Amino acid sequence: MRHLLQMSFLFFVCLAGEGLAKLLPFAFPGSIMSMFLLLLLLLSKIVKEHQIQDICDFLLHHMAFFFLPAGIGIMEKYQLLQGRIIPFLLICLLTTVFTFFTTSLSMKLIFALQKKGNDNERTDC
Amino acid sequence: MKELTANPMFPIALSLCVYEGFRILQRKTKISALNPLLLSIAFIILFLNIFSIPLEDYNSGGAVISMFLAPATASLALSIYREFDLLKKHWVPILVSCFVGSVTSMLSVCVLCRLFGFNEHLTASLIPKSVTTPIAIEVSSQLSGIPSITVAAVVITGILGAVISPVLIKIFKVNDPAAAGVSIGTCSHAVGTSKAVELGEIEGAMSGISIGISGIITVILALILF
Repeated sequence: MRHLLQMSFLFFVCLAGEGLAKLLPFAFPGSIMSMFLLLLLLLSKIVKEHQIQDICDFLLHHMAFFFLPAGIGIMEKYQLLQGRIIPFLLICLLTTVFTFFTTSLSMKLIFALQKKGNDNERTDC
Repeated sequence: MKELTANPMFPIALSLCVYEGFRILQRKTKISALNPLLLSIAFIILFLNIFSIPLEDYNSGGAVISMFLAPATASLALSIYREFDLLKKHWVPILVSCFVGSVTSMLSVCVLCRLFGFNEHLTASLIPKSVTTPIAIEVSSQLSGIPSITVAAVVITGILGAVISPVLIKIFKVNDPAAAGVSIGTCSHAVGTSKAVELGEIEGAMSGISIGISGIITVILALILF
């Protein structure tokens, strides 16, 4: 019973998220909107962690599985890329590596700067 | 036999068995390259081709599985909530890094597409490839790209991110879990995040919030830059 209640609540949040996303003047994914909505509900203590944690932890734990049909759907798109499949994959791979690299570098640099700033503050005192 | 494979329960049962099988294989071998999602996709595509089962038949059950993507993505809110103090503490580096990552992704796509002689429609289809599907489709069509190619690029990028991110964390020595999470979410959206969740709660939470932030940044950048 507890699980069904949690699931119905989560589905309601998702539906509300889809509805809210439609109201925006630009296209925004309903699922991300639902994520922000649920975060807001949790932060404002309207929803308590224990009221949703069983179903949320289950879905999070198996998240990769739910992408399986989307991945299999690619088989239909193979013809669209006649003869370009290798450069296509190469571009996807290289840009993913570049993006990961610059993002992580930016995080590391700012962390280092903040740490230095904090250290300086401490020596100033 | 045809009636059996056209039953929506068939693709669901097939997906569950294959995925669980590869998950056990990865757990036993402990090789991160044996990504269960990637292997399951390859195996099921092969299976459908060999037994000439049309994709529509698979999708009758596949749609049920895909439906759970929305509540699974919403569930990331719980991870973010649990790590909210960390998010509050690091909001500046997270925002700046999502911006840096989104710019890198879009510009490197442009440069590489020109290098490989892709036309402008194909290039426009690839530009939003690092963000989550609904945003990517919107940005792609706005730049006169081909939405179905965008979907393929987004999914492939996500799977690549999920497979190689543990390796990239080691190569680029990303020791901080928050930095690793933000990097995964920015370069490979929700599919990558599914891997980040497996790496740890902080990684998962930071990756989840980065999908939203870099998605919004990409929409704005597409309006300004192109």
